[in-house]
Amino acid sequence: MTTQDTTAPVIELRHVEKSFGDIHVLKDINLAVKTGEVVVVIGPSGSGKSTLCRTINRLESIDSGEILISGKPLPEEGAELAAVRAELGMVFQSFNLFAHMSILRNVTIGPTEVLGMSRADAEREAMELLERVGVADQAEKVPAQLSGGQQQRVAIARSLAMHPKAMLFDEPTSALDPEMINEVLDVMVRLAGQGMTMIVVTHEMSFARRVADRVVFMADGQILEEGAPEEFFENPKTERAREFLDSIRGH
Amino acid sequence: MSVNARSAQFSMRDALYEEPGPRTRRRIQIGTAIAAVVVAALLVVVVHQFWATGQLDPQYWLFFTQGTTWTFLFSGFLGTLSVSLTAAVIAIFLGFLLMLGRISGIRPLAAVCRIVTDFFRGVPSLLLIYFFFLVVPQYGIKLPAFWMITAPVALAASGVLAEVLRAGVNAVPRGQTEAALSIGMRPFRARMLIVVPQAIRFVIPSLISQLVVVVKDTTLAYVVSYPDLLQNARVLITNYDALVSTYFVAAIIYILLNYAINQLAVLASKKTGSGRVDRMTQNST
Repeated sequence: MTTQDTTAPVIELRHVEKSFGDIHVLKDINLAVKTGEVVVVIGPSGSGKSTLCRTINRLESIDSGEILISGKPLPEEGAELAAVRAELGMVFQSFNLFAHMSILRNVTIGPTEVLGMSRADAEREAMELLERVGVADQAEKVPAQLSGGQQQRVAIARSLAMHPKAMLFDEPTSALDPEMINEVLDVMVRLAGQGMTMIVVTHEMSFARRVADRVVFMADGQILEEGAPEEFFENPKTERAREFLDSIRGH
Repeated sequence: MSVNARSAQFSMRDALYEEPGPRTRRRIQIGTAIAAVVVAALLVVVVHQFWATGQLDPQYWLFFTQGTTWTFLFSGFLGTLSVSLTAAVIAIFLGFLLMLGRISGIRPLAAVCRIVTDFFRGVPSLLLIYFFFLVVPQYGIKLPAFWMITAPVALAASGVLAEVLRAGVNAVPRGQTEAALSIGMRPFRARMLIVVPQAIRFVIPSLISQLVVVVKDTTLAYVVSYPDLLQNARVLITNYDALVSTYFVAAIIYILLNYAINQLAVLASKKTGSGRVDRMTQNST
């Protein structure tokens, strides 16, 4: 979009391997996400999809393989790693808003502490973002006073305040009550519409159908299938994917 | 997660015990009655023994009607307060530093802080006092009595407070750190801006409760002849030959002081909300 190399994928994983002790959670993962692309990762629980998502900003280290961000290897530590993390937004299943800070401060702390923005500028922008996700009227409250859906929308605003070049969503609606899922998905749909590059780990198949450019199906630490959503949902190629889709459609 | 944060606050009693039924209520009533009788009987025995041994004689109690007795005890009380407060401030400061070192992630520093913490936590306060009283002067360092009691009490407490603070740090959900890292904070920044402030809120009540231990440690001031409450009480005992009555009064004053400290802790836990069960934003994946 800007001056950066547009030929290199924003996020690329090459032969990534990861084990927790005896459990091989990621097996030869290869994945490339282009600018503006929305990739939805689905699969049964324990398939390694959350781990995959977390390796991309190194909240989880990898045993071997390569992770490239805009063509450059993901740094392993220090200021370089922090700088890359600042460019990758992350939204967690459990929101993880800073519990001791106001909603507004949750959104401004990144820009002021990491980007060195002035408090006034950060607050102006934060209010716009909170407006965009529909929780501007909650700005002075603390996270515990908000509903789960509201907290998750604030978490998205907090990520957006860093002007990320891609966003990672790690099961963003899994901890929400059913009536709150859509208010979060709506925000994500709008983001995708505005061209945000996204990797979304989710169980929301309707979201995958509606928004995904590509669906990645994982099971037992492997990517078994990947393709356009219609194709995947109508004609899954692997038995494992067919079983999975049947099991979630079963009721 | 549907549990609203405000409705999720319930007392420890509610969390640990279910509401008693009719039979249990009856049993509780009987138990309470028996306990009351036993306590009353014990009291009678104590008072009777005091009376029988002449401890209730006016000579042991009349000097408490003199203003000078109370002025003297009060000056001792001020001594106890100043040692306690100074030791507490130093202990919190040192404990904080030890905790930071321990969680710094820098191996050698963490190891040193761990050894220092365990040392001060494990060594009896009296031994530390002897060190400042008997060993330090041998190296030509002559400390005033105030510091010979305050320094060891502070050091002993710092080890405990370091552990209390570290427990607070461990109680902050991992997700808080992850969120801070994910917006590009360096680990040290994340710790100082996100984890430590929350940890302190969690443990403020425990920190204040720990002051009770500090207050009790200051009674060792007699070793270095610093005039604290207990030391002055001992002077009264020698003057009036009234051991039981004086210790009785001193004990009451200590109990009131420590009760006040505990009330402060309760107040603090209400203010910071750390006493409540509030896990709304802390459910882990």
